[in-house]
Formats: sequence, C-alpha cells, structure tokens
Amino acid sequence: MKEVLQKHKQYLLTGVSHVIPFIACGGILIALSVTYAFKFHLVNQHGAPDFTQAPWLVKSMMEIGVKAFELFPAVLAGFIAYGMAGKPGLVPGFVGGFIAAVPQVVGDRNASAGFLGALIIGLIAGHVVNAIKKIPTPKIFRPIMPIIVLPILSTLLVGLTMLLLNMPIAKIMVGLGHFLEEMQGSSKVLLALLLGAMIAFDMGGPVNKAAFFFGSAMIQQGNYTIMGACAAAICTPPLGLGLATLIGKKIWSNEQRESGLAALGMGMIGITEGAIPFAAADPFRVIPSIVLGSMVAAVTAMLGGVGDPAPHGGPIVLPVVSNRLMFVLAIALGAVVTAVSINLLKQRAESSTTPAPQGQS
Amino acid sequence: MKIVAVTACPTGIAHTYMAAEQLEKTAKKLGHDIKVETQGAMGIENELSPQDISGADVAILATDIAVEMIERFNHVQKIQIPVQAALKNPEAVFAQIKRA
Repeated sequence: MKEVLQKHKQYLLTGVSHVIPFIACGGILIALSVTYAFKFHLVNQHGAPDFTQAPWLVKSMMEIGVKAFELFPAVLAGFIAYGMAGKPGLVPGFVGGFIAAVPQVVGDRNASAGFLGALIIGLIAGHVVNAIKKIPTPKIFRPIMPIIVLPILSTLLVGLTMLLLNMPIAKIMVGLGHFLEEMQGSSKVLLALLLGAMIAFDMGGPVNKAAFFFGSAMIQQGNYTIMGACAAAICTPPLGLGLATLIGKKIWSNEQRESGLAALGMGMIGITEGAIPFAAADPFRVIPSIVLGSMVAAVTAMLGGVGDPAPHGGPIVLPVVSNRLMFVLAIALGAVVTAVSINLLKQRAESSTTPAPQGQS
Repeated sequence: MKIVAVTACPTGIAHTYMAAEQLEKTAKKLGHDIKVETQGAMGIENELSPQDISGADVAILATDIAVEMIERFNHVQKIQIPVQAALKNPEAVFAQIKRA
C-alpha cells in the first residue's frame, strides 16, 4: 500500500515538474502587463484592466501569458500520465487535461476544473493506458496497438470521463475560491501558519512541494496571496540560519559560518534547500527554528496582503510582488525569528552537559 | 566498482544537483568509479551513454519523479531511492549496494 502511494506521488510530481515553467512564464507575463495597465489607468468601468488602449507589446504579453496558463492543465495531466504509462500516456493525458481547462458556468461564475481536474484525469489516464496495455493481443494485431487502438480507445475513455467530471470538479473549484476569498482574520492566519510550517519542514522535499504547488495552482485561479505567503516562507530558513551564523559568531564553527554565507545566497534566490546542511547536522534544533520563522513570515505576508504571481519565493521575486514593503518585512521578521531561536537553542545546549541528540529528521 | 546514477527532483534546480554532488563525493571517498546524470529543469545533463550503462555494475536512481528514458536501465541492476536519501545519508546508499 505504502509503495502504491509512493509511486502515485512520483507520478504527480512528474507532472508538477513539467508544469512549473508554464506557471512561471504565464504568471509573470500576466502580472507585468496587469501592473502596467493599473499604472497607466487602463481600466474599464468595473475597475478591471482594459488592454484595448495598451501598447502592442503589453497587450501581447497578456495574451501570451494567458496562453501559457491555458496549457497548464493539459501539460500537468499529460505528464502525470507520461510518468505513469510512458509515451502512450501523453495523448489521453493531454486531451483529458485540455478538456479540464474548458470553462464551465457555475452559478454566476465561469470556472474550469483546472488543476484539480488535471491531477485526477492525469492519474486516470495513466491507469487506463496501463490497463489497455495488459489486454492480450494476437501477434498480427500487435503493430496496430500503439498507433491505433491504444491512443483512440484510451483517449475516448479518458475524454468521456473528463466531460462527466468537468461540472462537479468546477463546482468544487468555485467553492474553494469562495472559501479562500471569504477567509478572514483567524482562518487566514491558520492557513498561513500551516503553509509556512509545511514550506520549512522538509526544506524543498515533498511536504514543501505540496504547499508550494497549492500556492502555484492558486496563481492560475487568479489568487496571488497564497503564493505570497509561501514566497516569504520559502526564503526564511536559509536566510535565518545564515543570519544566525553572522550574529552568533562564537557558537558556530568556521565551516558552519562558511555554509552560512552560502545559505544567505540561496535564501536571496528563494532556495529553501540552502538550510539542509544545517538541518542534517542538528535536525532537532534547526527544524523547529526554521518552521517557526517560516510561520511568522507566512502570517505577516498573508495579513499584509502580499501577492506573488510567480511560482517562486525569496527576495528575487520582489519586482513582481504586490505590497513589497510587507513582503520585505515578512522576510526580515521570519529570518530574525529563525536566527534568534536557533542561537538560543544552541547556546542552551552548549551550557548544559547533556549530549546533543543525534539522528535524522 | 563501476556505478552509474541518475538524480531528479520535482523542481530540478537544487536537490537534483546537490544529490549528484553527494553521490560523486561519497563514491570518490569509497573508491568507486561513478558517473551521475542529472535530469533537472535544464533537461538531461552529463548524459549516460549506452556504454556507460552496460559497463556499470549497478545503477542508482535517486529520483522523486519518473526517470527519462528508463528503458536504458532494463539490463542493469537498479537501486531506486528518494532524492533525500542521497542527500542526507549517501554512505548508507552505497552500503545498500554491497548488500544487494
């Protein structure tokens, strides 16, 4: 059972790894053109950006970004199925995901099954292809299996399934959207705390990626604040640990101070993995410290209304972030909290006589 | 021992390369001959040739996602591990080979 789950996680991550550049490209192009529209008051009577008067380049950037986003569910589902069933998985996965991207009318809104639909249909497509592959075929029919039977049969089955699933999943997506928009005060804080903790907990591992991918998927749904909270939390573990080696020179070895500098560099470009060398050496003190710092950063960013249209974190995304001052404040607070807590924990350990706990996180 | 390895993490910008480095460093320390292919965000780098693979005693697949061109490894003994395992405790990975 555990192995089956492990395998499915691998399939999902295969899809995610292929779709991240699409979100980056679409998110940043759209954000830049929308920023331009607001800056030069190109808005319609509802206050939404209006590109009819915008320069050709700005209008085109918007259009290109939107196209990259429209491909998102297709690519995600396509490569989930590819990870699972190899080349024959691509057709049903892409077509199923493409259907999931078609907007549905739910009440007074347009919504598509989007990323959730794509995740589900990608897995279904992989299973369908693998099942069809197992059907015993006489030798003379074998050549037509991969070019005729497999693509048509699998895509027909997967396509029909997705057409049936479209509406129910779109309804869930609209519900999720309502839920996130209506979240106020305490529940917003709770979500940010959870995201921050997940981001720091395994420093770029699967738990971190789950939170990161939730934020990325919400970008495609037009909600940038989830990623805003993640973006602040992503960079504070390496930044905080690097800061700790700078302010507490005596309690860190020369070697650790050197990796502290490297961690600062990685933090600036939003790579949580920079914290790993510290966490591997002393998991029971480092991990709680970075989890605490990232939670602080995520909550500050969430309450400050920080929006990040790029699926990446750290000071490097500052140019595209909204509410920049709050973003910087969130990162600074998180880093300081991490630095102070790890230094206090370390000092206490050194003054007591008990040996440091050993082991892996 | 001659070893080939593939590393790949979902984002493909940090873990993939850190794991490759760990495997190379540890192999050198233990006196093994190793070539590591990375399948990161830039695509396949330091690609393993068919000769590399057929000449290897074992292939280490340190991946959290599906390996590109997995069929290349059909005829060699494989060890599948998560990327984290290569990062955190590379020596244990090599110990696993000796037992296998």
